[in-house]
Amino acid sequence: MSEQAIDHSHDHSGVSGRTPYEGLRIIEIATEPGGEDVGQMMVLMGADVVKVEPPGGASGRFIGPFVGDEPDPENSLNFWFYNRGKQSIVLDLTTETDRDRLHVLLEGADVVITSTSAVESAALDLRAESLSERHPHLIVASVTAFGLTGPWAEYKASELISLGAGGPLMSCGYDDHSIPPILPGGNQSAHTAAAFGHIGILLALLDRRRTGLGQVVDVSVHEAAAVTCELANPYWFYPRVNVQRQTCRHAQPTPTSPALFQCADGRYVYFALVLADTKPWHSLVSWLGEYGLEADLGDPEFAEVSHRQARFPHIQGVVEVFFLLMDANTAYHEGQARQLPIGILNAPEDLFDDEHLAARQFFVPVDVDGVGPVPFPGAPFRFSAFAAADPGPAPHLDENSLSVLSPNVSAAAPTTGGQ
Amino acid sequence: MTNPVSTRTPGRRTGPLTGVRVADFCWMGVGAVATRLLADFGAEVIKIEDRTRVDMPRRLPIYKGQGKALSYGEELSKPDPNMGGLFNNYSRNKLGVTINMRTPEGRELADCLITKSNVVTENFAPGVMERWGLTFARLQQLNPSIIYARMSGYGHTGPHTEYRSYGPVVQAVSGLSHISGLPGREPSGWGLSYMDNLAAYYNSAALLMAILHREETGEGTEIDVSAVEAGISLLGPVILDVNVNKRSTRRGDYPTGNRLEHPHAAPHGVYPCAGTDRWAAIAVLDQSEWDLLVDVLGSPDWANDPMFSDQESRFAHQDELDTHISAWTLTRTPHEVMDVLQARGVRAAAVQTAEDLSEHDPQIAFRGTFFELDHPVIGPALFEGMPMQMSRTAPDNWRSAPLVAEDNDYVFGEILGLSADERGELLDKGVI
Repeated sequence: MSEQAIDHSHDHSGVSGRTPYEGLRIIEIATEPGGEDVGQMMVLMGADVVKVEPPGGASGRFIGPFVGDEPDPENSLNFWFYNRGKQSIVLDLTTETDRDRLHVLLEGADVVITSTSAVESAALDLRAESLSERHPHLIVASVTAFGLTGPWAEYKASELISLGAGGPLMSCGYDDHSIPPILPGGNQSAHTAAAFGHIGILLALLDRRRTGLGQVVDVSVHEAAAVTCELANPYWFYPRVNVQRQTCRHAQPTPTSPALFQCADGRYVYFALVLADTKPWHSLVSWLGEYGLEADLGDPEFAEVSHRQARFPHIQGVVEVFFLLMDANTAYHEGQARQLPIGILNAPEDLFDDEHLAARQFFVPVDVDGVGPVPFPGAPFRFSAFAAADPGPAPHLDENSLSVLSPNVSAAAPTTGGQ
Repeated sequence: MTNPVSTRTPGRRTGPLTGVRVADFCWMGVGAVATRLLADFGAEVIKIEDRTRVDMPRRLPIYKGQGKALSYGEELSKPDPNMGGLFNNYSRNKLGVTINMRTPEGRELADCLITKSNVVTENFAPGVMERWGLTFARLQQLNPSIIYARMSGYGHTGPHTEYRSYGPVVQAVSGLSHISGLPGREPSGWGLSYMDNLAAYYNSAALLMAILHREETGEGTEIDVSAVEAGISLLGPVILDVNVNKRSTRRGDYPTGNRLEHPHAAPHGVYPCAGTDRWAAIAVLDQSEWDLLVDVLGSPDWANDPMFSDQESRFAHQDELDTHISAWTLTRTPHEVMDVLQARGVRAAAVQTAEDLSEHDPQIAFRGTFFELDHPVIGPALFEGMPMQMSRTAPDNWRSAPLVAEDNDYVFGEILGLSADERGELLDKGVI
């Protein structure tokens, strides 16, 4: 692939130049991150997303962190993260008048994204099946904590609750099991469910091309977490054993050696010592040798896998000392230059200085009123045939009511995007 | 128990991807999970393996009926490649063929298969596909509207393109590990290759976007998804906090473990329950939820202490609060805690093990998230299904994972038109 083949610039060789979401109109009623993140991914690839907020604003506007730590619904970084490039209108869906307005919008839309449970939706007369019956072309994507059906459908959740009930939490934490399982950061149950919401909408769009019909896509955050436990479920399905959490490395049936090494600068690298493969072993020993730190690992008997395996703690100790004597960036890049799968534990703030991400123009500046250009993560998908969109910042509350709700626009025929 | 032969014979598939044929060079986790989604919804995914170097999940020691459970890294020296549970989980609904790509005839056979396919997928180390001549330009010569999905750790441009990665490395480099743990100690990060799953889901979505694009325009595309970039996209609002507010995540009170800073929530934690290493999670986000919790707890005296009088003071006194909550949870099972609190509208969960998900979770059971398929060597086994229900579209779970080379005759015979003699010759020469 040429360096220019797939990047964030606009040099794309595609004949059409359009993204598959161009012309697609999405109405987002969802106020939970699991639903909002679906809309966000689709905005990044060119969809037109109208966010319907309740009077006063979506709940995400009231969740920090805030710009300058000053609580302000226009300055929630939580809201900014999930709502870049969307349009905002306010509708009070507890009133019939505004529900009628919503239905006008839905008649002209391709997808609606919701995040209310079955009972909450029924109270608003906005049940997913009803929306689907009334607007047969519409794809109704629902992302809720437990799904719209089942004995737990009305249970309440949050990030911690979803990763706990769903299984991933039990695999995460420390070797010391007097410490409870520890929540991984960053709203991951919501992001996992959103990934499936996006997939579900794509499958529904493909189906609609053949049938002209939309459908309900009922995503459960709980189930999304439950199928995202990697080895834990297969270890139960097959040998019927529960894996045990271990510090920053795979939960396994039995304890394994630490894979986190602290370096001279206090930072960490991840490196799982695998002794069975000959090539990485020789790379490691020769690397240690360059620093005169190979100890006895270059002795001929260490060429034998069984000898190495029997001396695992000794080898681990040599490697611990080695990393303690170099900074983490050196360990990362020198190790990788030797084809060893070493990862530096970057802090988020480190990423803006990463030469690889810079060369790929991964972060994209978004001009935010009163703040200036803010680097946001770019689209995580790249295509040679079309470029990702370049959406602006998150909308001000009700910023787009006039244009979205004007009679001309709301009376427009359904868009053809995705058809 | 063995499937009747007929149920394992490839036939007409159902679903929105019917008619999509994938020449699937993927292996390990990310690629296999990404193409599994296509196979689930009707695509004919032809998994290409090398007999002398079968896919790693075939060799990982996750076996049914094994006396002693072995960890990843404790592989048997000569494992039966048709016994591997992880491979079965990752490659259901796919066809399996063998091609030795180190032979000219093998590469020629792959070219023929690509010509008859709509999609090519791979997640090898950088350079492997190029070594076989399989660049996007070459694939376009074979098939002008081809979709070529390349799934890698770092993406196919940039100075670190050649870097080696797998889930934990991606999690480290993208920042996901660093933001996970207790303050003042090493990160606890992830106890799984979370990014093998998430990068796979993103790759599935990218493939579906490309398929949709081709249906609309007739145009193929190359896809480049970097797992590290996907990981950064998943960091959440903290990525904006560090660049807008210039706040370091290396400060002493970060990360916050199980406590929630935005919004200030308390109690918010994972509490010990009856049993060994059993836990329940409780999250109280506002005053009304606190009132419900106190009621369920029987309105104990300690709840009237001024240090617990409002959400902010509870947030400020979480150590004291957690001691009281733990005393209550300790005499209950995780599911008792969940059920009694949820019955009153308090956010609570049993921190479930994989055993709980399979055996004790009524929601998973009701929704049929896990389903069973038979396998000729392994026998019946459970599979992780779709975490969503669609009113018009259902997964087409027609078969468990292929045995090594199980579909050579169908693919090389019926799709590529090679005679039995030709196939026999290729087999003898070690090409298939």
